[in-house]
Amino acid sequence: MDGENSLSVIKLKNILLVTVPDDPGDDIIHELQTKVLHAIEKYQSKGLILDISSVNILDSFFARTISETTQMVALMGGKTVIAGMQPSVAITATELGLHLGKAISTLDVDRALDIFTDNFKLV
Amino acid sequence: MANQEAGENPIKSEGDIVTCRKLIRNAAVAAGFGMTDVTRIVTAVSELARNVYVHSGSDGVMRWEILHQPGQIGIHLEFEDYGKGIPDVDQAMEVGFTTAGTMGMGLSGVKRLMDDINIKSEVGVGTTITVEKWGRAK
Ligand SMILES: Nc1ncnc2c1ncn2[C@@H]1O[C@H](COP(=O)(O)OP(=O)(O)O)[C@@H](O)[C@H]1O
Ligand SMILES: [Mg+2]
Repeated sequence: MDGENSLSVIKLKNILLVTVPDDPGDDIIHELQTKVLHAIEKYQSKGLILDISSVNILDSFFARTISETTQMVALMGGKTVIAGMQPSVAITATELGLHLGKAISTLDVDRALDIFTDNFKLV
Repeated sequence: MANQEAGENPIKSEGDIVTCRKLIRNAAVAAGFGMTDVTRIVTAVSELARNVYVHSGSDGVMRWEILHQPGQIGIHLEFEDYGKGIPDVDQAMEVGFTTAGTMGMGLSGVKRLMDDINIKSEVGVGTTITVEKWGRAK
């Protein structure tokens, strides 16, 4: 049932692709924020795709980190797209009353990339 | 481990939050809950276990049991700690109320995700929160 339990950060041209494991502990969620901000600074990335397609639990702590990270990325001049939220996670997050800040959501990473190429013209 | 219908797990460290989630995910899936209900239940576990770890100032424990009724399956969960307690439970249940500068969405959210929530708390003694969720048996 458990997937690879670590964060993956990949630089793709101008943007950063970050993949979150299925059941991220608080340590991984903290790491998400610091790793993303460092990588954006290092590579001068213009955007972030947060791939949460494996994630099967999103509570208020994780949601807060996502929304904060999105805000910080925006302050650094970047855009965030959240890709692949599972339907059951989306339903639960809505019922819990969570919102993920101003980030755009897409069905999957391919569509997130399309947004960066077609809408933002960043890739 | 498989088909276990009741158990408990301590809540003493940050890592125990993930352990509680995994335990209850396995139990809820094995009991036959649907995917969305499993996610609701595990999310409630995450909120309540984290509250024990973050707010109580003490150790705690999660206890769980799978329930059976004709045509229905249920899960009963109890989170007990021996910490500082909640002075005003109604206020703690309000959306956005927090004493920790976090979102204040945990207790109000859990109430929506589960069928039943019961909070017993005494200042200086501790807090016990029980929740229940029911689904159609497969
Ligand atoms: N187990 C607990 N022990 C003591 N206080 C608690 C406990 N659980 C919740 N609380 C109190 O209730 C408030 C609201 O909790 P919650 O809705 O989960 O939001 P948050 O965790 O973001 O503060 C907490 O800020 C805390 O003051
Ligand atoms: Mg909470």
